[in-house]
Order: sequence, then C-alpha cells, then structure tokens
Amino acid sequence: MRNYEIMFIVNPTVAEEEIDKINAQVESIVTSGGGKIEKIEKMGKRRLAYEIDKHREGYYVLFVIGANGEIVKECERRLRVMDPVIKYITVRTDEEARRLDKIRNYRQKRAARRDSGVPAAPTQSIEEAMQ
Amino acid sequence: MKSGKEKRPAGAPKQYYRRKKVCKFCVERIDVINYKDVKLLSQFVPERAKIMPRRISGVCSRHQRQLNDAIKKARNIALLPFATE
Repeated sequence: MRNYEIMFIVNPTVAEEEIDKINAQVESIVTSGGGKIEKIEKMGKRRLAYEIDKHREGYYVLFVIGANGEIVKECERRLRVMDPVIKYITVRTDEEARRLDKIRNYRQKRAARRDSGVPAAPTQSIEEAMQ
Repeated sequence: MKSGKEKRPAGAPKQYYRRKKVCKFCVERIDVINYKDVKLLSQFVPERAKIMPRRISGVCSRHQRQLNDAIKKARNIALLPFATE
C-alpha cells in the first residue's frame, strides 16, 4: 500500500452538489479497489495561476489516500473523462514521509544523547542521515 | 569602487564585505517542501515566475532540488504560474 495525494480542480461554475458527486465517485473507486481514504479536503475556490480552458478560477479538492498503482490509474482515467474536472495531479507521499520520519528519529536520538551528558555527534552527520 | 585599481599592500585582504548567505530551509529546519505551500514557494519565484537560482537565494543544493520539484508540481496544478505575461 502506498500513499498518494490526488488534487484536482473542478470548474467553479458547477454546483456544490456536483462536486460532492465527483468526490463520492472518486471515493468509491478507491474503496472498491481496496484502498482507503485518509482525508478529503475541499480547499475551495482559488484563482488559477494561469488560464486553463478559459477558466481563471477553480475549485480545488484534495484527496489523501492509501492505494496502489491500479487504483490511481483508474482514478486518473475517471478524472480525465469527467467534464467538470479541469486538471488533476497525483503525488506519491509515502517515500517522503519515510524520509521525514528518519530525520525526526535522528533528531530525537541526538537530543536524548545530549541530555544524558554525552557529547553529541558533530552537526555534519545530520547531513548524512538525511541522504 | 573599482576593485583592483586601488593600491593594496601585498597580502592584505580585499576590502569589500559580503554577507554570508544561508539556506533558509536548513536554518529554519523546514524538512519538507510541500507543493501546496504557495506562500513558501512564492518566495523563490520572482516576478517573471522563474525559479530563483541558488547563487541568489543561497539555498543549499539538496533543498534547491526539493524546491525545484515542489515548484514544478505546484505549476502543474496551477498554484504557481509558468510565466507571467
């Protein structure tokens, strides 16, 4: 199981219920494929940084899911064919999260070592730990 | 000041002084550069929406790499512009 973030932009002129419907569809794809939904966040209307299909604004929705490649593939396919969806992006997050955990652990260990009176390792080695 | 034109005693250090640049992400212990964090990323994209080079921002190479990825992802989903007209 891998963690992904799927973010997509919906046409801002469509009704709120329409957006909920899209969300429900994506949700069902994920859950029926054996994945799990961690978070659904409606980020609301935002100005787009550039024009997409004559749209200057968009309604952003963020999904945080645990899934596999198959599910993501299916989600992307569905998002592509949905008319109100202007754009989407999928980002894999578990690798990054693992790296972050490692750094946190390392920092904690270092802090503990410092408290116990043993001189801490030189700062240089934190760079190595983050690689 | 035209450096080099003035006579300097041999061995004396050059007169100009440059503030040492530091990597913002290292100093502030920002571990993760998220593509959704527009406020943070926009500090590194000047008016023309190009990515600020390391020699100007002082970001270390590892963080510049992560920053690059984040900015490019943000551009993809229209959080940041590719170019300004």
